[in-house]
Amino acid sequence: MAYEPVFGALTIHAKGGKAPVGSWSNASRYSCSLDPRINGNVGTKIDVLADLPPDRYELFLLEDGEKKVEFEPETRVPHAAMFTFNKEDHTLGNLLRAKLVKSEHVVFAGYQVPHPLFAVFKLRVQTDGEVSPKEAVVQACQELVKELQILDQEFTKEWELKKIAGGGGDL
Amino acid sequence: MDYEPYGNGMNDEDAGPRVTIRRSNRTTIDFVLSNTSLALANSLRRTMLAEIPTLAVDLVEIHANTSVLADEFLAHRLGLIPLSARDIDKLLYGRDCTCDDFCDNCACFLRLNAVNRNSDENMKIFARDLTLETRDGRPVEPWPAGHNAGMDGEQELPTRGQPIIMDEGQKGPLICQLRKGQELRVRCIAKKGIAKEHSKWAPTAAIGFEYDPHNKLRHTQLWYEANAKEEWPLTANADWEEPPQEGQRFEYEAEPDSFYINLEGTGVMPPDSVMHNGIRTLQEKLANVIKGLSDEGDAGVPNGMGGGSPMDGVMNGGGTAYGNQTAYGGGMSAYGGGVGGQSAYGGNMGAFSSYGGAATPYGGYRG
Repeated sequence: MAYEPVFGALTIHAKGGKAPVGSWSNASRYSCSLDPRINGNVGTKIDVLADLPPDRYELFLLEDGEKKVEFEPETRVPHAAMFTFNKEDHTLGNLLRAKLVKSEHVVFAGYQVPHPLFAVFKLRVQTDGEVSPKEAVVQACQELVKELQILDQEFTKEWELKKIAGGGGDL
Repeated sequence: MDYEPYGNGMNDEDAGPRVTIRRSNRTTIDFVLSNTSLALANSLRRTMLAEIPTLAVDLVEIHANTSVLADEFLAHRLGLIPLSARDIDKLLYGRDCTCDDFCDNCACFLRLNAVNRNSDENMKIFARDLTLETRDGRPVEPWPAGHNAGMDGEQELPTRGQPIIMDEGQKGPLICQLRKGQELRVRCIAKKGIAKEHSKWAPTAAIGFEYDPHNKLRHTQLWYEANAKEEWPLTANADWEEPPQEGQRFEYEAEPDSFYINLEGTGVMPPDSVMHNGIRTLQEKLANVIKGLSDEGDAGVPNGMGGGSPMDGVMNGGGTAYGNQTAYGGGMSAYGGGVGGQSAYGGNMGAFSSYGGAATPYGGYRG
């Protein structure tokens, strides 16, 4: 009996000294050190697993101790701050940016994904001083949640109407 | 703090997104989303494509495989079989479960035993030949008739983990063929996951997304040889919008407003559930941000509120911004918990603490 990890299998933090599910048992941890092309590293232990493509769950699972949002006030510009969102992408970045720029108290809002291989984006917000950047972001999030809630209800309403009227559908 | 909330009309009676469903069937909904922003529509599209939890085979125990397909080939094929994601909220992620490797709380188990003993013709193995069982090998009983635990529309789905079979012959996808004497004995372990990790977890086959069919906003540049108008036929959605007038001035400040969305599911959940789950997943992402920002130390944050903690502002702001949204209060009672969910987001920041890791963060949402 053998486990065959499906491509992209989830690595479970194995307990009791088992190899993590999804790692390959034939991967030697020393093979790189035997490779003469690697200079200066001969004899040192090299984690060959580090050369494998990163696990895909690193795109959305926060690491131990990692925060969802890091906040850093901008010292050179008044009422400005840089937020770093970990394990998030354009889905949230563009949504927040678009909401923030519509606020009358927000002077500047922009986001950036510093590198496409790292699931991080940075959001810079500058306000007019009436609200702090942090409040502006929280407010934007709350309004979006609210808007989505209305959308959900609108959709349910339409769907129920459609079900009553059409008795299923006609696509 | 009594600053005005955002001046984007959220306080208007008729504010908020609108939906017009044009066509629908078992797997697909074609609808128009209007009175919202491009960013929101696109974020919703991205969320529905990549971040809705579903179920798919993640590990395969090969007990015997004498077929022509290699073990990993077979495992990959099994992974792509759509499995019913009914009541997926009640299934834990493997990483969140307390068990050692997998158990009935965080996985579904599918058994496939097939031998071609004496037929000279190839024996075809289909997804229907997978049988659902518990971790210790007992068969899983189907839900009792009239079972009503799932979301609306989910009631038509088979038991969680059951392969979705939609073809006329009720066979499901072909897994492999066995020649005489060949055997396949396999146990599949299906887990909860999202399509960001692997696309086998995608609840959607495709999402069509179009806006501004006449290209009035000039978000795209149409390549042409002689005449763009003749060479680019209009899409069906063009009938839903006013064509541009001859010689009309370009409105450079105009923003897209209507989005023509064709949401095509794989069948693992009905398309309306895909929509609801997409909205909910996006709300959870936003709620996590609110929680993350609220958890942070308040020290040293210039909030311009004269000594009050930032949370006061949040609470007041939330309260005034949403307090008057009574339009959805009474009239929507048919849809039960939704209104309760709103108030949780509106003024009461305490509700966000329930996001800590609760399995069902949206208290009243499911009614």
